[in-house]
Amino acid sequence: MRWLGHLLVFSVALLVALPFIWMAYAAFIPPEAVFSGDIFGKLGFSLANFEVLGRGGFWEGFWGRLLFSVLLTGGVTLLQLTTGFLAAYAIKEGTKILPFFLVLLAIPVELLLVPLYGLLVSLKLLDTLWALVLPFAASPFIVYLLFQGMRTVPEELLEAARLDGAGHRVLLTRILLPLLRPQLIAAGVLAFAAHWNLVLYPRIVAGSKELKTVQTWITDLQRQNPADWGPLSAAALAATLPLVIIYLLYERRIVETFEEGLKG
Amino acid sequence: MGRNNAHWFALPAVALLGLFLLYPFLDVLRFSTWDWSGLSEPRVVGLENYRNILRDPDFYNSLRITLIFGVMTLIPFVILSILLALALDGQPYERPIKALLFLPGLVTLGGATVAWYTLFSPEYGALASVLPVPRWDQSPFWALVLITLFTIWRHIGYGVLVVSARLKAIPKALLEAAAVDGATAAQAFRYITLPLLRPAITFLVVIGTVLTLQGYTAVFLLTRGGPFGGTEVLGYYLYKTGFEVGRLGYAAALTVIILVLTLAFALAQARLLREEK
Repeated sequence: MRWLGHLLVFSVALLVALPFIWMAYAAFIPPEAVFSGDIFGKLGFSLANFEVLGRGGFWEGFWGRLLFSVLLTGGVTLLQLTTGFLAAYAIKEGTKILPFFLVLLAIPVELLLVPLYGLLVSLKLLDTLWALVLPFAASPFIVYLLFQGMRTVPEELLEAARLDGAGHRVLLTRILLPLLRPQLIAAGVLAFAAHWNLVLYPRIVAGSKELKTVQTWITDLQRQNPADWGPLSAAALAATLPLVIIYLLYERRIVETFEEGLKG
Repeated sequence: MGRNNAHWFALPAVALLGLFLLYPFLDVLRFSTWDWSGLSEPRVVGLENYRNILRDPDFYNSLRITLIFGVMTLIPFVILSILLALALDGQPYERPIKALLFLPGLVTLGGATVAWYTLFSPEYGALASVLPVPRWDQSPFWALVLITLFTIWRHIGYGVLVVSARLKAIPKALLEAAAVDGATAAQAFRYITLPLLRPAITFLVVIGTVLTLQGYTAVFLLTRGGPFGGTEVLGYYLYKTGFEVGRLGYAAALTVIILVLTLAFALAQARLLREEK
């Protein structure tokens, strides 16, 4: 029985890892090897695929789009954490609106493409940067995660600080912010990944060249040159690596936060 | 009333979510009574969109595909989550493997599909040069299998986490007592572990159904609904009619129908799985 378990775990793990291994391998395949069809024959290492990505103007090319996406998603993540942190604080301090956020948690954002599009049209935000920012500036999930974290902060601690004359600002920045660092990191990584992984939404509400996210850029390239995997894999790797690195750095926190959320 | 006016701190989140989440969620009802392309002036048509959907063969086809896809994905997903959580429990490699399984859900979707595409494409794919890859670009069945595998790949880490969190909450003393009473491992699993895992399984089935009924991203990225419309799940049909064909009113009515279907399914399953004891 035991060895069957090991076998299952390791075969699944291998299959799950396979696309990653392949992505890392294909990104450095020399272009000649792809054209000759001899992919596994001789091991080659080449950076040519990454050079291809740099062609064209910077802002419209891959690296510009990558930078744009990092800044955009990073900004949205900070906004989400800020609004979520403040809302979680309000709930902790006795504002009875947790049910409001829990109900919103059940609304499937992905399905709201049509009404959201209509709203952006009437607000005249279509095809502006705001269309990519405002609908994601707050998240019920992040509020919930941060409130779960704040619940573990002993009330006496806040009470003592209040007696010493601490106001909201001091409580928030000097006491709660450092105490909630782990939860903020985990929530931040999840928020970043969620916004980073929007595929259809940015395509619909912000289609112009200056607003293209790296996702859209890669998807377009794939549609135009499906057989040209060298540059495709290089782009995929470069767009995935930042997330993988952040994840590996904070993996323990993220998995634990999820587990705590499940106990909720 | 919050202490020292702390309730004001909730205002940004409440206002933003009210405007960009709650309002569109309710507003979709109004859009669903419109004939509207997004560019033209909307025309109010009452319930005509709903009437048309109920007579639309493409809608039923896409509903059928979604249900097939749901069954194809959910059953292996839940079973695999349980088996993996059991096999991983208490192993020295539990943590790193869980971390690995969780990774696909977070990485760049576009990048992940590129890796899948270049690996599995029957025409250009790397695997095709080593072993025969089914022609999922021509066969709707294999295309669905591909989407199924991709979906499971992306979410298996979460599934394992859900089951595993529940597994850890089962008191070890219970299983030890069973062993003392002479229960085999299989019996202990059947009569103790499995019933106690029921809430986790219910959770996975309900969440999984909701996600299948509403998902479309993998379809958009890998097959674009093809071949021959064979992977046109409801969510993708919604996107296509709304933003490729340009019938936003019709798509809004579809959104409402999908939401109602989701709610009905989730409630029925939650009830069924709870009462089955």
